[in-house]
Amino acid sequence: MTSVQREPVVAHRWERMWMLAKIEFKLRYYENKLGLLWALIKPASQILMYYLVFQVILGQRVPNYAIYLWSGLLVWQFFTESSTGMIKILQTKKYLYTHTNMNKLEIYLSHMMSISISLVINIGIFVIGSLISGIYPSYHYIFFVPVFINLFLLSLGVALLLSSLFLLFKDISQVWGIIVGFLFFLSPILYRGKLFEEKMPILNYANPMAGIIDNARAVMLYEQQPDWAMIGFDFVYASLIMLLGLWMLKRLGPRASELL
Amino acid sequence: MDQDYALVVEGVSKTFYLDQFLVDTLKARLFSALRTKEVKILKALEDITFSVPKGEVFGIIGRNGSGKSTLVKVLSGAFVPDAGGKVIRNGSSMLMSLSIGLSHELTAAENIYVTGSALGLSLKKIDSLFNQIIEFAELGEFVNTKIKYFSSGMIQRLSFSIAVNANAEIMFLDEVFAVGDAVFKKKAVEVLEKSWLDGRTVVMVSHSMDNIKKYCHRVIYLQKGKIRFLGSPEEAIQMYMEDNHVEEEATD
Repeated sequence: MTSVQREPVVAHRWERMWMLAKIEFKLRYYENKLGLLWALIKPASQILMYYLVFQVILGQRVPNYAIYLWSGLLVWQFFTESSTGMIKILQTKKYLYTHTNMNKLEIYLSHMMSISISLVINIGIFVIGSLISGIYPSYHYIFFVPVFINLFLLSLGVALLLSSLFLLFKDISQVWGIIVGFLFFLSPILYRGKLFEEKMPILNYANPMAGIIDNARAVMLYEQQPDWAMIGFDFVYASLIMLLGLWMLKRLGPRASELL
Repeated sequence: MDQDYALVVEGVSKTFYLDQFLVDTLKARLFSALRTKEVKILKALEDITFSVPKGEVFGIIGRNGSGKSTLVKVLSGAFVPDAGGKVIRNGSSMLMSLSIGLSHELTAAENIYVTGSALGLSLKKIDSLFNQIIEFAELGEFVNTKIKYFSSGMIQRLSFSIAVNANAEIMFLDEVFAVGDAVFKKKAVEVLEKSWLDGRTVVMVSHSMDNIKKYCHRVIYLQKGKIRFLGSPEEAIQMYMEDNHVEEEATD
């Protein structure tokens, strides 16, 4: 029927990753009755919850607090969906690499692509929401690109680290659950970045998500340029985590079929 | 010189450490430091060295537990050999055991695209082969059904049907004829003869001595993880039969 034909492998790599990303996206949102609506209900309920607690009950003073929350949660959701969401990826996607020579990094990248599709959709809905509350998007949105690059590198790096460690420690998700809980409250999602900077200045640098969220807000809400020094710092930070993650996968990845 | 070989295997051993208490969590690791370890060591493969020239059909025989499947997994890259061992594969490969790795969460159609692509086919190529694959697998009505609802026979047929078209240079076949009904077995043999033996390197594990004799150029006979014999199929099979006979008498 067929004989051995060498096709340009690299050329197919991207179309394959894109296909996997689309299937992943479909699995996530079209498999249940409410479908894509879930993607809205979850952040909407979170916004409502925090709004009730911090605005209505505690009466904090950030203007447009709902939109403020929404923008922070949007970025945060990308981070948790990739880091927490990909801990078991080598297990769930084992069928892809055990029988073929498929590069494991392709599996990670396709997953990141599908989460990025969600982010784009979420931002689209966010723009509509902010228009309704009277915040008009400006050209500053183009500065979201460097912010996104940092977010992407950081999220992928953490995902690589966690999923490689999962091969040795099956309870890593519990440990990460605790860390992520701390990070959430130590990021300027619920309160102003300034507040945070005054009380614990070190956290702006220790927690890379802090700078990313602040910068995302600068371009999405305040028609400002991002803090470029912070962008640079976060880029180095995220790249280092990414390199550590790649090194981990290179070290532990070959034993994945065996350990899972 | 290595370029003439599809596979070069040097000093490959594989040891499994079977801890009585599984240490694969942080908690277990913390506590296991405190107690004396009772680790069972299983040497599945010991010092295996051989090479397979391009285009050869290479057989692996041996009793259950002799290390055949472990060897195939090490050769295909699914398992990593112990430190010091070396496996070189010149070319892309495919490992086929009961299946070729399909996702139960995906439909038959999606699996064809995902696995086909993982096996080195372009999406365009899969488009053109799609109907042929479905037809061969006899799954026309179930194209858009998730394969978790399939019977094991249906999954095997789908696997086979995708694997026929795999764009891999080295095929690792682990007992692919052991399952399926008579009609399907006949198909499997056809696939092997028409597609897989055609200019490719094939490493075949089988309990069917007829198939080994018919297709293999050379055979390795494994006994308790070591090479008992490497050479012509006839001699290997004869030795294997004699050993089995001796063991049978010993147990009587």
